Amino acid sequence: MSSTATPAPVQRRRLSREWIVAQLIRRAMLIVMLLVIAFFSYRSLRFSSPENLQNILIAAAPFALIALGQTLVILTGGIDLSVGSVIAVAAMTSAAVAKANPGQVWLTVASAMAVGLLAGTVNGILVSRVDVPPFIATLGMLTAGSGIAYVIGGGAPINGLPAEFGTIANTKVLGLQIPVIVMIVGIVVLGVVMRRTSYGMRVYAVGGNRVAAEIAGVNARRTLFSVYAISGLLAGLSGVMLASRVISGPPNLGQGYELDAIAAVVIGGASLMGGRGTVWGTALGLLLIQTLNNGLDLLLVPAYWQDVIKGVLIVAAVAVDVWSTKRRA
Amino acid sequence: MNDPAFSRRHLFAGSFGVGALALALSACGAGDPTANQGGDAEGDGDGGGSLRIGVSVYDMSSFITAGKEGMDAYADAEGIELLWNSASLDVNTQASQVDQYINAGVDAIIVVPVQADSLQPQVAAAKAAGIPIIPVNAELNSPDISGNVQPDDVAAGEAEMQMMADALGGKGNIVILQGPLGQSGELYRTEGIENVLKNYPDITVLAKDTANWKRDEAVNKVKNWISAFGSDLNGVVSENDDMGLGALAALKEAGITIPIVGIDGIEDGLNAVKNGEFIGTMLQNGTVELSAGLAVAAAIAKGESVNTEPVYNMPKITQENVDVAIQHVVTDRAAFLEQLPEMTKENLSTGDIAFEGIPGQEGS
Repeated sequence: MSSTATPAPVQRRRLSREWIVAQLIRRAMLIVMLLVIAFFSYRSLRFSSPENLQNILIAAAPFALIALGQTLVILTGGIDLSVGSVIAVAAMTSAAVAKANPGQVWLTVASAMAVGLLAGTVNGILVSRVDVPPFIATLGMLTAGSGIAYVIGGGAPINGLPAEFGTIANTKVLGLQIPVIVMIVGIVVLGVVMRRTSYGMRVYAVGGNRVAAEIAGVNARRTLFSVYAISGLLAGLSGVMLASRVISGPPNLGQGYELDAIAAVVIGGASLMGGRGTVWGTALGLLLIQTLNNGLDLLLVPAYWQDVIKGVLIVAAVAVDVWSTKRRA
Repeated sequence: MNDPAFSRRHLFAGSFGVGALALALSACGAGDPTANQGGDAEGDGDGGGSLRIGVSVYDMSSFITAGKEGMDAYADAEGIELLWNSASLDVNTQASQVDQYINAGVDAIIVVPVQADSLQPQVAAAKAAGIPIIPVNAELNSPDISGNVQPDDVAAGEAEMQMMADALGGKGNIVILQGPLGQSGELYRTEGIENVLKNYPDITVLAKDTANWKRDEAVNKVKNWISAFGSDLNGVVSENDDMGLGALAALKEAGITIPIVGIDGIEDGLNAVKNGEFIGTMLQNGTVELSAGLAVAAAIAKGESVNTEPVYNMPKITQENVDVAIQHVVTDRAAFLEQLPEMTKENLSTGDIAFEGIPGQEGS
């Protein structure tokens, strides 16, 4: 015991120093996450309370939905810049529907999802059929969608919504708010789909090497179309959750959210070139960002410093990831 | 809210907008030898002929949308022709719009500026052409403006903080939700809040940070503050209603009831005052403020004697007078707009351009 620095004799190969170092590098993101949690728990007694855990989850939920869609898109080697605007259009649509039909809560959710799906479908057709580069197609949707959100509200936020509209996001099931449950279901379902089903394999295949995938019989156009449609649908759902939580339809809702979603995917270890990344990684990346948001608020770090810290973290996470990939190769 | 929030998306949108506008302008210049050449601009100002006034606003926010209704009502009543453009939060777009008005030889130009430090060449050109230029609701840093119609944001910050101090009996712990840091609305309202806080050594500010005027940002920020401070938190001072409503959502989720105060008097904020969820708000009625801005610009263009720099003092709204405010802003707008032009003219002579007959507003 005492001060012996000599390591225990290596008994099994699994515990060799190389193995441990390799594991540390491969799990770098998880380790960073644990360190962040440890730091905040140490600095603030309130951080690890169950109420605060719920804060992190409810703040993460709307981002989780768009980050999941973004993961699929990025796995195909594409990008969906439009999700922030789709959130705004879906939120404004659901708010307008709620105002016209108070009490018809499901109708508002359905309309938001329909609008999201429509936007995703347009993106999907542009990318998969018209061969517009994803960056451009979704940039167009980002710009047009922002305008449409203002058109719906006549240039103004939709105020004076019925209280029932708030029940979508503020009802608790099993002690969790509905957006949190939707997030958990979304992560589990997409996580399993991407890992266990042929659809998941096709998405990875198209992103890894489209030509090879097509030779192997994958319908690349249909696969590409589907990921943008899913991304749009999830953004629509995210929009109605956000609007319902604060019972309001602001046309600038979701502004810049696409960048947070992309950051979560990238921190989660996905490659913007496509073919590499996981749903679990994205979930971890997202929770890391949201944990930082929450913990830095608890420590009363000013908002501008929070941005600096998050920016550094995004780049550092990717740098470590690239470095460790090279090392393994 | 009245101050533009910049974002990457708007930069994208803005750059597209400039391109589109440039096209539109060149098309105009080529195909439309406009009937309104600049020559008679100075000449027809004093006659009975109708005034033409160009308006360039930073964006079609809810504040501006409400304000446009007030301007339209005043313009109709006075036979003023309004030319209207929105700059979509882009400084260059706004500059082009003002250039266009100068070339068209309008009688006066009203700007709700995107940025305080912008439009210098345009202001100079307008001065050279003898066209008065009047910033309304947001400041424009220039010595060459002909008038200036601004809200008193410092006073609004002071009044909301005073309401909170009274509600807390002069002691307790508060958090402050600020606008985007560095914007004039945030700076002045924060200054006002701090002015009052100096008188209350027993009120402690546990935290203050920006939620960028937004409800969805404020809800998470306040939720986190509730985690940090728990039952030590006694009140939320928000620099606009939207963030205050976000705070209200967060407090409801946590099952806590404490006083909240806001500024702006948007529909949901007024309803929150009526329900007792807000202790109060300060009404910044865009309809009244922009109508007054137009009246001042018209008077300057006609060469009438008028206070060229009247101040819009937001009336304080509490449960006692909120019903009248709701009528003016939401439920009884048609009737309100009908009597607005007459009221605006009256206000111009009394000097209290914010007067709209809300109980307690007999300030002038």
